[in-house]
Amino acid sequence: MDLSQGEALRIENLHFRYAGDDEDVLDGLDLVLGRGETLCIAGASGRGKSLLLRLIAGLDKPASGAFYYFGEHLPLSQHNALEVARRGAELIFQNGALISNLTVRENISMPLYYHHRGTDDEIEHRVNMALDLMRVRDEENKYPHMLSSGLAKRVAIARAWAMDPRLLLMDEPTAGLDNYNRNSLLPLIDNMQALFKTSMILVTHDLLIARELGADLCFLENKRLTQRMKFEEWLTVDLPIAHEMFRNLRDFQLKSTIS
Amino acid sequence: MKFHRTIDDWTLFGSIFDKIGRQFLSTMFGKQLLLFFRTLHSVVSEGRNVHADLRNIIRQIYFTVVEVFPVLFVVAVLTGTVTIVEAMTVMPRVGFSDAFGGLMVVVLVREIGPILTAFLVSGRSGSALTTMIGTMAINSEVDALSTMGVNPIRYLVMPALFGGVISMLLANILFSVCGICGGFGLAKLLVLMSGETLNLNLSWHYLSKSILLSLTATDFVMMILKPVAFGIIIFINACYHGLNIRRDIRQVPKATSRSVVYSFLYVIVIDVLFSLFYIFDYANQMSRII
Repeated sequence: MDLSQGEALRIENLHFRYAGDDEDVLDGLDLVLGRGETLCIAGASGRGKSLLLRLIAGLDKPASGAFYYFGEHLPLSQHNALEVARRGAELIFQNGALISNLTVRENISMPLYYHHRGTDDEIEHRVNMALDLMRVRDEENKYPHMLSSGLAKRVAIARAWAMDPRLLLMDEPTAGLDNYNRNSLLPLIDNMQALFKTSMILVTHDLLIARELGADLCFLENKRLTQRMKFEEWLTVDLPIAHEMFRNLRDFQLKSTIS
Repeated sequence: MKFHRTIDDWTLFGSIFDKIGRQFLSTMFGKQLLLFFRTLHSVVSEGRNVHADLRNIIRQIYFTVVEVFPVLFVVAVLTGTVTIVEAMTVMPRVGFSDAFGGLMVVVLVREIGPILTAFLVSGRSGSALTTMIGTMAINSEVDALSTMGVNPIRYLVMPALFGGVISMLLANILFSVCGICGGFGLAKLLVLMSGETLNLNLSWHYLSKSILLSLTATDFVMMILKPVAFGIIIFINACYHGLNIRRDIRQVPKATSRSVVYSFLYVIVIDVLFSLFYIFDYANQMSRII
């Protein structure tokens, strides 16, 4: 049996270096994500987490490495965003990256029309579903500059969902959101994953996301990914990275317990 | 002495051409040429929305021709007036009264008209396009298009290029018409206002007849070719500078000014190249007469 058939993404021995730098940012990174799995990647700022997402999405070109999307090898010579998108991967940017001269509804429908995803009625129906799923129906005629950052993120997720991606990459989905928006966004992501079994990779500084989504969590450390564990397991292991990353959370938990 | 080239010789030639080609494509002009051909290729590539493309092309034409028309009208009328008044006052003194129509054709239809139109379009629409695409690149909107499988060249550059070229054609015709008609009207008004001070023998019949007699087939061909060439270079150049902005908002104004300066330069260079056609045309006519 070919194990790769059950994989959404496999990366082997990935190396990346910025032009002019004499040191790799990512050095021999490996990653395997099963179909329908959710993985949260955390780590200190500037270690290359967002870069990793850009590499997976095909927006940047690695120096070397091998990418397999849903068991299919994509050679580096063909590794670009359009080819990766063709394989069902979609990236949601930190700022939403909504097209500024299109309304919310047009932002969601535009890629569907470009890819001829059904008749006009079918596309409009799917757009309505996406708007309802992310609870942004009231904002459908607004332009991106009229939206709060929380709403812009929801619209970006709605746009990605409408495309029916097989692999969803999210860069800091809760960054810059207040508690209310954050807490209302996470169940939407969780529902989406539960309903459509979309494979997801989330890059975040918000470690609690992993607990709330019941996802595996790993860290980008020393230019590679650490081992993957559930959030609760990370709290119990005696590893330097766990001590460093969970210090504040442990203090918080201790205080909560005392109080 | 070797008469047949061996594989190694061809490889040497091949490698030389390969190096020259790569060197050329690494220059700014080479990359812009590549962008132009990629834009043409995107028309037939997969992933298209004819309705949205047409809407974007019409938006581009509206922005480039309709919104710029008041400024274009004023510039054309004033240029036409100056040309008519200068021609009517200076040319009889030097004994070239019959060349009046020829001068009007050279100034308004052949040279100054297309160049001023190109400068106006480049300064307004070209700079706006660079700023818009540059800001989209900074906000990751261009990357977002790619990750949705929508080719940014198809979505952004193609409508700008086709809309821009159509706009340049229309703006050029409007400039010539406004320059001749408006220029005549304003010059006539100046004559009337000045009483007998400006004693110009100016009539619409004389003006239109002398211009029509001076127009050649080459002029009509150039009236299409020049704006098309100017439109291609202005809009590809504007899109290129916008797309090459990377993650720094301070690059937007720099790229915009670079885009306008290079557009002006390209327009002048292309205009000189087109002038060569007129030299050949003139030489051809002379040889036939002789």
